[in-house]
Amino acid sequence: MKVLLVDDSNSIAMVVGQMLKEVGHEVLRAKHGLDAVDILKQHADVDCILLDWNMPEMDGLEFLQHNKEHNVASCPIIMMTTENKPEKIVLALQNGAREYIMKPFTQDILVSKINSVTEGAA
Amino acid sequence: MIEKHVYDFFAKFVFEKTGIFYPEKDYYRLDSRINKLITQYECKDANDVYTKFTTSRDADMEQFLINICTNNETYFFRDDKPFKALVDDMIPSLQAEFPGKSLNFWSCASSTGQEAVSVIISILEKFGNSVPFSFDASDISTDALTKAKGGIYTNLDVQRGLPITLLVKYFESVNNGDWKAKPEVSSKVRFFEFNLFDKLFPTNKYHIIFCRNVLIYQNSENKAQILEKLAQALVPGGFLVLGAGESLIGTGVNLNQVTLSGSMVFQRPGLKSNVA
Repeated sequence: MKVLLVDDSNSIAMVVGQMLKEVGHEVLRAKHGLDAVDILKQHADVDCILLDWNMPEMDGLEFLQHNKEHNVASCPIIMMTTENKPEKIVLALQNGAREYIMKPFTQDILVSKINSVTEGAA
Repeated sequence: MIEKHVYDFFAKFVFEKTGIFYPEKDYYRLDSRINKLITQYECKDANDVYTKFTTSRDADMEQFLINICTNNETYFFRDDKPFKALVDDMIPSLQAEFPGKSLNFWSCASSTGQEAVSVIISILEKFGNSVPFSFDASDISTDALTKAKGGIYTNLDVQRGLPITLLVKYFESVNNGDWKAKPEVSSKVRFFEFNLFDKLFPTNKYHIIFCRNVLIYQNSENKAQILEKLAQALVPGGFLVLGAGESLIGTGVNLNQVTLSGSMVFQRPGLKSNVA
């Protein structure tokens, strides 16, 4: 499975990238929402997006809103963030996020959330 | 160095109270438990804690040992198939058999409560408040029950098995990123201490009993005894839900095996319309 990780933190990208590679996923990395838009133009076969909330250029919520208007990603999007207030979670879901991972999390949680949104996908 | 008679004593005590069996070759697995007892009760060494344990017969000390020997692993919607079978098959079948009656559920090894909460959420999602029911949940571990009764789950707890849409619908955010089940869920369950080795079991009471991932820790004799008592605790036509991979094989217990929504469950005979 090809996973696009959108996060400006190099340390998070390293840890999460390692977790995903250990279970056999291919990982692409974007440093913010605009970067993700560019990468998705070249990689239409991304199966799942892990999206941080607080990033420069275009943050996670702005990316979701941009995607609603321009449909840059047809795959499921999972927010992956320290934002853990219910109103923030609801806002992300209303704007198209399918699941939500609150940092900190474990590899089991990461893998099961990805499986839950990609099960049944071709 | 822990002496053999000390191991023998604690292994026997744990087996009699919980059914968890430590053969001699596995006595080393008792080391950390005995060391925790030593620390908790400020003893010098294993002999000292053995003497204190055997002479005082302190109920708190006994419960402390039970708590640290039992496995409280659980998570929301564990092995999700039984939850689908519950709302798609078992509850409709029971409603047809017992029209207008309140259904009685029992999670008999509830640990910290995720199974009970998952069942209640499943019912609310499928039926709203149209299914009257009572929910008993019990465990041998008082530590696990304290957490279950408090109803507060950590950030990690709620991310294990619980879809995010159900989290924001049925839980509220409390201090420092923890989450608490809303009253519409928590008010529906009654948690209490119960040992599956107790002689006094309810009879003909429950429509559905969940006893998942308990029997795997028991020898065949204990397994048969527990299952027989659970079967009697069901009303005729009631369902017993075991863990994935657990079965009645070799126990001689009179329950019918049925497969519902891909989940194998066991039904007490005695109704004309038994699913089996």
